[in-house]
Amino acid sequence: MSKTEMKIERPSEREFVISRTFAAPRELVWQAWSQCEHLQQWWAPTGWSVPVCKMDFRVGGVWHYCMKGPMPDGTEMESWGLTVYQEIVAPERIVALDQFADAEGNVSLEMPKMHNTITFTAIDGQTEVTSRSEFATVADLETVIEMGMEEGVTQSWDQLAEHLGTRIK
Amino acid sequence: MEYLFYCEFDNIPIWEYNRGMARLPTTSDVFNAIAEPQRRAILSLLAQGERSVNDIAEELELKQPQVSKHLRVLKEVGLVSVRREGQQHFYKIKADGLKPVHEWVMSFEQLWNERFDRLAEYLRELQATKPNLRREIEETNNEQNRDEN
Repeated sequence: MSKTEMKIERPSEREFVISRTFAAPRELVWQAWSQCEHLQQWWAPTGWSVPVCKMDFRVGGVWHYCMKGPMPDGTEMESWGLTVYQEIVAPERIVALDQFADAEGNVSLEMPKMHNTITFTAIDGQTEVTSRSEFATVADLETVIEMGMEEGVTQSWDQLAEHLGTRIK
Repeated sequence: MEYLFYCEFDNIPIWEYNRGMARLPTTSDVFNAIAEPQRRAILSLLAQGERSVNDIAEELELKQPQVSKHLRVLKEVGLVSVRREGQQHFYKIKADGLKPVHEWVMSFEQLWNERFDRLAEYLRELQATKPNLRREIEETNNEQNRDEN
């Protein structure tokens, strides 16, 4: 899959949208997002594994998982995530709250939470997946940014827009 | 913009990267600092210009020790700077203080991008090793459609 088939948009400062067309039928892509045996193969960063995966795939259900991998100093690091499913429309849409957690499933209060909406569209036997991520904490932040903080902040958003512009091409 | 590359560079998820930066104000510190509504109110006020501690307390109708406490947190994570004039302390916003948050958002975007790369590769492998998979899925679909009809 070449990078040119990928689209990135930023509708506002607090969210980003990534779309990609996968050469696979929608039901298969849906399974890849909703079953541990599949997610364990691709969810964690390259070089990392998903040794623990407990999923209750229904509205109100949670997905508690562990990602494990090496740190630069050679030690192994575990990182736990806890996703709460808020809406499931098979095989079209998943809305979920992604959170950082620990092994016991206690949600981290200090790390940001994200609202993710994943949509699956069948197009000629292929599947377009669109992931919209909204940062709950950054949403709060937006008001502060809008208050017109100094130029430096605006500049960094300009750089961001520029950067995204080059990546979309 | 070094942060754009470290995921590929070290294969470290960004949250662990942030935790590793123990001696610097981390992103989670900044997120923490701005998660508190009164601190956000202080930031919004300071966005309009420099204020003394007393000015802030008066304008936001807060107690002065409370304001000082919040300002200390904001200063520690680099969101405000302080200037002393006689007995008065004047605070103003530091423009680059939110940079870790911006970097965080961008890093996360990078993470998702890479995740999509891996999914594409995984789906390709899955279909290559199971050539009948597509037909099976289509048959299941047809059965479901029949059941519905």
